Amino acid sequence: MSRDPVIWVSSIVTIIAFSYLFKENELYKAVEHLYVGVAAGYTLVMGYNNIVSKVWTPLTRDKNFLVLIPAILGLMLYVPYVSKQYSWVKRIPIAAIVGIGMALTARTQIMQQFVGQIKAAVGPVKNINSLIILLGTVGTLCYFLFTLRPSLPVKTGSEIGKWTIMVTLGAAFGAGIMGRISLLIDRMFLIFRDWIPLIKIR
Amino acid sequence: MDFFEKLGKIDTRIIYVLFILAILIPLVSPLGLPVTVSQHTKQTYEVVNSLQPGDTVIIDIGISYSGAGDVLPQAIAVFKHLMSKDVKVIFTGVQMDSSKIIEDLIKPYEEAGKEYGVDFCNLGYLAGGENAIAAYARDLKKAYPLDFRRNSTDTLPILETVNSAKDVNMFIFFSVQNADMYVRQITEYQVPLVGGLIATIAPQAEPYLHAGQLKGMLVGLRGAAEYESMMGSPGIGLASMDAQSIAHLLIVFFIVIANISYLGTQNKTRSRKEASQ
Repeated sequence: MSRDPVIWVSSIVTIIAFSYLFKENELYKAVEHLYVGVAAGYTLVMGYNNIVSKVWTPLTRDKNFLVLIPAILGLMLYVPYVSKQYSWVKRIPIAAIVGIGMALTARTQIMQQFVGQIKAAVGPVKNINSLIILLGTVGTLCYFLFTLRPSLPVKTGSEIGKWTIMVTLGAAFGAGIMGRISLLIDRMFLIFRDWIPLIKIR
Repeated sequence: MDFFEKLGKIDTRIIYVLFILAILIPLVSPLGLPVTVSQHTKQTYEVVNSLQPGDTVIIDIGISYSGAGDVLPQAIAVFKHLMSKDVKVIFTGVQMDSSKIIEDLIKPYEEAGKEYGVDFCNLGYLAGGENAIAAYARDLKKAYPLDFRRNSTDTLPILETVNSAKDVNMFIFFSVQNADMYVRQITEYQVPLVGGLIATIAPQAEPYLHAGQLKGMLVGLRGAAEYESMMGSPGIGLASMDAQSIAHLLIVFFIVIANISYLGTQNKTRSRKEASQ
């Protein structure tokens, strides 16, 4: 058995978390609460590190007073916890966050996710994959045509689109299962290799 | 309750136990099932392998511990490959766990004699998600005045000639979230973009690979196994493939069982309806 207390704690907590599969129990609930508490504490520490490295050091060492602008905007988020009367102040930093986020995304979205994808989809059909993507794209677009009278080409396209969507969902679900199994394998390595040396693979 | 109904009402706890056994037994005594390498992984390996000694890459670790089981083995394999080629690596991160994961990644190489600040550096976690990527891609030192170890980024030799995404030879990301934000923010710098993704979201990134916006993509633990196979250096990915395959077979088995049960009970219901009419 491992002599590392960290491995012991994480293995026992993992087993308790898995116990939910058998039946909900008090230990599971305790671990659930523990997780929320630890995650909150961890977030606090990371937040502190962020403030030290991104605000305090540039301010005190480099005399970079510009960092005060985002720092003050960040502090404004906490105003509702101090005064109910001035709780509207938090809307200013939220507006800034949303505005900047939207602008940064929209700036490149049109080129990379719209024009780039259309170019790739309608580009020269080089192989069977390109053909499937082209048919799938056109078919899916036909499936979502609501304002045209359903003619034979639209109906055929729509049928192709329906199958494309179903295959896509199936692929996504299959990949999802594969991902979850990998996470379970990771936990198996923790319990049966790092804690109890049953698995010999390193 | 007839046979088909019973078949459809197997206690889920039995399924869980079978599932755990299906994963555990192949890990304890490996079967050595063959692993074929997909085109995606071949492409990724070739792109990474084209880097020359002395080249610099940014690796963004968008991995949280909750999703590490699927993506971290990819990062371990690719970083090992880069270190073997003497490529310099600048680590960044957009997940809160990134900093610690990066420290764990570089520790063995530091112990083996590679030099922090020269061969690699850990700039750590930067809050803001896509905004953070946009910020450091434009100006690394402005976004990261200090690295994770509290060194000033102005003093790191690895960053002497690098200050934005356009100054590096490749941008690699490992993500449990999505590839969209990297494609949106990095493609404009005309730097080869390579991604390692959690299997759950990999199908959504497929169009980027087809469009050439991604030059390579690794998919989940299987991607890591294939990459290890290409490198000829078995690791945690290859070791897990037997368990993954057996677990998939078990799922297929239960899907078949569920459908047999469904069809059997449907036939019975239909014949009951016809008899009552």
